[in-house]
Amino acid sequence: MPPDQELPVTDPGETAAEAADPRIAVDLTAAPEAAAADVPPELVAQSLGEYYRAWWLRLRSGDSGVLPVVLAMVVVGVVFEIITPEHAFLRPSNLVFIFGLSTVYMVLAMAETVVLLLGEIDLSVGAVALIGGVIAFKLVQPGAGWPWWAAILAALVVCGLFGSLQGTLTARLRIPSFVVTLAGFLLFSGILIVVLGGADGFVNLDSTKFDQRVIYDLVQGTIAPVASWVLLVLVIGVAGTTQWLRAARRRRQGLVAPPVSVIAIKIALMALIGAAVVAVCTVNRGTTLKVVQGVPWVIPIVLVVLGVWTLVLGRTRFGRYLYAIGGNPEAARRAGVSLAGIRTWAFALCAATAGLGGILLGSFFYGEYSTNTADPGQLVLYTVAAAVIGGVSLFGGRGKAIHGVLGGFLIGSIAYGVALLNLGSLSTPLQYILPGAVLLAAVLIDVQSRRGTGGVTRV
Amino acid sequence: MSDVTANPGETPTETPTETGDAVMVDLTAAPEAAEAQAVAAELAAQSLGQYFRAWWLRVRGGDSGVLPVVLAIVVVAVAFQIANPKFLSAQNLVNLFEQSTIYMLLAMAEIFVLLLGEIDLSVGLVMGLGSVVVAELVQPDKANWPWWAAIIATLIACAAIGLIQGSMVARLKMPSFIVTLGGLLILEGVAIIVLGGSLVGIGNSQYHNELVIYNIFWGSFDPVVSWILMVVLVGAAGTWLWLRDDRKRRHGLEAPPRSLTALKIVLMAVAGIALVAICNVNRAHVGTIEGVPYIIPIVLVVLGASTVLLQRTRFGRYVYAIGGNPEAARRAGVSLPSIRTWCFVLAAVISGIAGVLFASWQVSLTTNIIKSANSYVLLAVAAAVIGGTSLFGGRGKTIHGVLGGLVIGGIYNGLYLLGVSSEWIDVVVAAVLLAAAIIDVLSRRGAPRRT
Repeated sequence: MPPDQELPVTDPGETAAEAADPRIAVDLTAAPEAAAADVPPELVAQSLGEYYRAWWLRLRSGDSGVLPVVLAMVVVGVVFEIITPEHAFLRPSNLVFIFGLSTVYMVLAMAETVVLLLGEIDLSVGAVALIGGVIAFKLVQPGAGWPWWAAILAALVVCGLFGSLQGTLTARLRIPSFVVTLAGFLLFSGILIVVLGGADGFVNLDSTKFDQRVIYDLVQGTIAPVASWVLLVLVIGVAGTTQWLRAARRRRQGLVAPPVSVIAIKIALMALIGAAVVAVCTVNRGTTLKVVQGVPWVIPIVLVVLGVWTLVLGRTRFGRYLYAIGGNPEAARRAGVSLAGIRTWAFALCAATAGLGGILLGSFFYGEYSTNTADPGQLVLYTVAAAVIGGVSLFGGRGKAIHGVLGGFLIGSIAYGVALLNLGSLSTPLQYILPGAVLLAAVLIDVQSRRGTGGVTRV
Repeated sequence: MSDVTANPGETPTETPTETGDAVMVDLTAAPEAAEAQAVAAELAAQSLGQYFRAWWLRVRGGDSGVLPVVLAIVVVAVAFQIANPKFLSAQNLVNLFEQSTIYMLLAMAEIFVLLLGEIDLSVGLVMGLGSVVVAELVQPDKANWPWWAAIIATLIACAAIGLIQGSMVARLKMPSFIVTLGGLLILEGVAIIVLGGSLVGIGNSQYHNELVIYNIFWGSFDPVVSWILMVVLVGAAGTWLWLRDDRKRRHGLEAPPRSLTALKIVLMAVAGIALVAICNVNRAHVGTIEGVPYIIPIVLVVLGASTVLLQRTRFGRYVYAIGGNPEAARRAGVSLPSIRTWCFVLAAVISGIAGVLFASWQVSLTTNIIKSANSYVLLAVAAAVIGGTSLFGGRGKTIHGVLGGLVIGGIYNGLYLLGVSSEWIDVVVAAVLLAAAIIDVLSRRGAPRRT
């Protein structure tokens, strides 16, 4: 990948003043926002109005955050609802199914985001994820008889080791990451079949045994409707209180904090989305004879992974170093960041997260793993597409874990929507063409928006 | 180029660091160290002995050319021959070449893009789509085109794909590996649409056009014709080489020593004779199949054309210039977007040629075979890198693709003969690709220019 050069961010506030824009005098947020486009709007705004103006300016300057992917999700939802037979796309049962289908893309896209933030790429996540899944599944079989948590842990550790191996080759020898992970893809695809026990090997979970049942239930199991509601109230209550208290403390200590109204709206939105999700999930999606309802376990699991990665990327030194290296490796090196160390860790953690995605994938397929479960090559393509569609930049330094989740959900929605359409012979090719087209569109937008901010210069 | 080579004897006082004692004896050492990369060994040497000394220094300087891959071929051949005596039998050698053909062509395609420092991950599916298009166009109950029109149309279609992808990379500045990643997904879908039903075949010998396409891969020259062709070809190439060097020498230009030219021609003749002799052994289990398969001249023609294009035209020099330092090339007035776009077009056209051969090789095409076409990308990149082409642009030749393809084909063929299952073969190929990439990186590090 060609080295990106960061151009100094020019100050549109100053040049605009020369052009005598009357709004500049009024809009206090314009200049600081433009001067430091990386500062989140909640840090500079003092009121709700200012917050939204700051957000809008930020958007126009090319840093659109999650807005495009949310808009795309709305468009996809509306379009498929209109064109699917019997308008079945937005049925509660389908929405829950789409989430299950998208889980692997969401988790893999979060994993990929970590590496993309560095400006590198990992093309082996698909194969590594599948190996992780197979290892966990094998270890809880009667022969090995490991407890479920040990099996999952072992799978993640093995995947992490694969990742650190590739990371070392990329970080220390500076072999381009796409070549290392391309070879890794081939290598791990081979190892996957070996681990499975040959090309026709398979492994499945017996849901009558406890340890196997736990892994089976990761995606298939549900929380009872009443428990779902209680849990929702608890989670929203805790998260809301934390946010509120933190902002209040910051305000008391005279630090920058978002306005009270913004916090209130955020908590209300969270509660609203949570209530909608639980409401959708508690509708019976089985039959009258076999009732299936309640929030699937996989939703809190994905939320936990999202929370962990958001914390790691946003609030730890490791996370800040990732962004620093992705933004400008040379500057990060001169600031004393160990490039090789951070890069190696990023690949290792990416692979470990991918391993979790693989376990969830197997659980989604009713606890069965075979060579037909998923094509590792296609998984990678969907994963990269999901991350980039979500808003992660391919050039490093820009992206969040939430982008992976939203992008993954969008990819899963498109895949399932196409499958619902009953297009006959066209449905298989469309499953390739649509993600490809969406990937290209997302990258084009990424490239163009980077160009708008003066980020990338390439000859 | 020629100004720096004036007199190898004049400059060696400059203290080449490690080999101080050797310098007094070895006249070629210093200029070689100073511009090991820029000057080809045969241009600086005055005699056969000097030539080999210059070449050896160049290899030690980090620019090892085809030496590692030739060694790899020897190692592969010896190892598998020991493991299975059938490996070097005439029958298996032809078989091995047949298996390697697709790798060779796709690697040559990939090299055009690698030389720029870009990558094309879609070559496998450009080939896949090309194979479906050509097979569909000669179907008597569908398009029923003559075979030559079908091939031309296929190559034009592939060129159009290359044009689109190349423009996205060169003009919209999108990263090539993502453009071609998205591209291969779309191409896979399009190929399945073009395939229509589940299967299309070209194996029906009743229809002339299908038969011609079938014979492109499976047909051979008659043994006698093979000999005649070989003699004509080696004669023509040898005469041309001799006359060219002779003319250069007469005009006082740098030219390789006469003995070297003669050695080259002899080597060419020996290789040609060996090739025809091997191919003329009957390789059928039942009946008779003998003679040089058409694919050998096809590969040689693609190799020759691309070598001339890259080594002897302005376009080729621009490709190397961009790969070496794009900014310098731009300031020298090279139009980066158009050269880059053309490289992607050429890669796609060569992949299209591979597609025609792929259709012929597979005889009947199904959705699964189209999907499997994708796996050839990795092997094509591996073949190019193993052959000696750099992933960082600016270094490589299409001959590297042919030799690297032979290594990959040899590994596949050899492991298959030993009864190794396909997943372990993938593991071995991945290890070989990684090893090649590591060697590439380390040798770049050793070389004096660019870090």
